Amino acid sequence: MNERQDAVVVVGLRKVFERRARRGLLRRAQGEVKTLSAVDGIDFLVKRGEIFGLLGPNGAGKTTTIKMLCTLLSPTSGTARVAGHDVVREAAKVRSSLGTVLTGERSVYWKLTGRENLRYYAALYRIPRRKARERIAELLERLELAGRADELVEKYSSGMKQRLALARALLPSPPILLLDEPTVGLDPQAARNLRQTIFDLKAGGKTVLLTTHYMAEADELCDRIAIIDQGRIIALDSPAALKEGLGAKEVVRLEIQGEPNGLGDALRALALVESVAVRPSVNGAGTCELQVITSNSRRSIGPIIESVRAAGHEVVHFQVVQPTLEDVFIRLTGKSLRD
Amino acid sequence: MIDTLLAIARKDLIMFFRYPINAVFRIVEPIMWLTPAFFLGRGFSVDGTATGFAAYTGTGDFFSFILLGSLLGAYISAVFWGIGYSLKMEMDSGVLESNWMTPVPRLAFLVGRTLTSLVVTTLNCTGVLLASWLLFGFSAGGPVSKAMLITLPMLAGLYGFGFAFAGLVLLMRDANTLVDVSSFLVGELSGRGFPVTVLPRALMVISLVLPTTYGFDAVRALLLGTKPLLPLGVAAVVLVGFMVAMLVLGGMAFSAIERVCRARGTLGMH
Ligand SMILES: Nc1ncnc2c1ncn2[C@@H]1O[C@H](COP(=O)(O)OP(=O)(O)OP(=O)(O)O)[C@@H](O)[C@H]1O
Ligand SMILES: [Mg+2]
Repeated sequence: MNERQDAVVVVGLRKVFERRARRGLLRRAQGEVKTLSAVDGIDFLVKRGEIFGLLGPNGAGKTTTIKMLCTLLSPTSGTARVAGHDVVREAAKVRSSLGTVLTGERSVYWKLTGRENLRYYAALYRIPRRKARERIAELLERLELAGRADELVEKYSSGMKQRLALARALLPSPPILLLDEPTVGLDPQAARNLRQTIFDLKAGGKTVLLTTHYMAEADELCDRIAIIDQGRIIALDSPAALKEGLGAKEVVRLEIQGEPNGLGDALRALALVESVAVRPSVNGAGTCELQVITSNSRRSIGPIIESVRAAGHEVVHFQVVQPTLEDVFIRLTGKSLRD
Repeated sequence: MIDTLLAIARKDLIMFFRYPINAVFRIVEPIMWLTPAFFLGRGFSVDGTATGFAAYTGTGDFFSFILLGSLLGAYISAVFWGIGYSLKMEMDSGVLESNWMTPVPRLAFLVGRTLTSLVVTTLNCTGVLLASWLLFGFSAGGPVSKAMLITLPMLAGLYGFGFAFAGLVLLMRDANTLVDVSSFLVGELSGRGFPVTVLPRALMVISLVLPTTYGFDAVRALLLGTKPLLPLGVAAVVLVGFMVAMLVLGGMAFSAIERVCRARGTLGMH
């Protein structure tokens, strides 16, 4: 790979799926072929040695993008180059330069031991046997699997399976790693450990492209983030710059009792208030959360509380915070990532 | 490349022998199925010859006829289940994608699996033969090496067909029924369990279109002295043609279907 080359270059990438509606048991409904643009013309560039995140809600098109990059899916249009190789025309070269972990847990054979899995995949990557043995031992050690390497994978915990999948991806020492939701399904401790591993990989000179729908994770891990929603990239920058994009703004979080009918509009009408998002509270206690972005919380808190009271609501909880990526997302799409 | 194919086969073998009980049952089970045939044959026999059966086939040894059929038939099920269905299982369990992300050409996974399938099925068949010799006194009455020679192109053709079938199975949501029914039909219509000459005309036509029918028939003719449907030379030509056509077409069909899967994105779950 050329020194100056970018690790991943994506231009106008699109993937359109056909969805055939079925009517009855077998008959295919006529003329009901619906198309869905899962990835709708995205452009981005991953620099060598950085951790780049695709952040977006369920169904945003993250996995579809990753699968096109690792040659499991063919793009409908547009181009993508990985380590300088075109994903369509030079698929074999792309596969040699990449380590990919999709659905981590399920990407290894449960009826084989960890070591047997790695030995098998080492052969697929044409690693000579002697070298493979050393490499496998080293990876097992590094990912803290050495002690249980000769047990069947079905006996592993989720975190161990995920680490084994990562070891599998690291076997050929690929310069670039694609990780699809690497921490999903892991307990907080295991997730933290995995994030540390990802940092270590970066320190070792690897380029990492990962997807996630956890804001905090993207914020912590990534050098740069592309926020993706409904197949489109709606913002792309470093986490800090994305948050600064909200200006010298602050976020007022309110939890109120009852349905906020019309309250959102009342708040938007206030001076200094930039935007308001409303969503039902997660704890299901009949309360609602309001997210009010304001350019000056000191001067707007009073009017905000007054409006809420005037609408007949009780304030259950109140907080002024620095903007997070979540707020950036809400600002850009008007909806919350968690919904 | 050979190393890669061996690694693929090795992995399947490890999993197959992980539970040795299963491996043993693969031999016990066919014997179980064959035992009634042995006694049935005896029940129809006068002085060790099933005369009615002999009139149709040219041999009075009903049991040996069935035994050879089920041995060759084992390769048919091996192709349908071991190549077709097991690829689908890999797809459903999620490992297909991790295999297909490696630089190994995708057809190689099927070839590797074919190796395992051949080894395992041949081991099974040897076990069943051995048991039949011990229990039922089976012995071949003709040139064994010639019979093996003529099965080779048939097996190659079958596995070539298996590649196309594996592709087809990948396209299906639920492949179990398709695999079960087609494996059964191809086996029976090739004459696994009876001489195809007893079939009604419409079915016999289908049977005679299947090249495997001539493979089964030739092996029996050689080993049991049955009346062959075709002269052995002609049967050999048919089977070699079948082999060439299926290896080429099967490979092409699989690659074409693999492209469709890549466009549709149906390899994994979503
Ligand atoms: N093979 C397919 N056929 C049809 N539609 C598909 C296929 N794969 C994905 N989709 C659809 O494309 C859209 C994007 O899916 P994708 O899996 O890329 O989302 P994602 O961002 O990874 O979301 P998640 O967080 O749920 O993993 C979804 O609406 C999904 O249903
Ligand atoms: Mg996904």
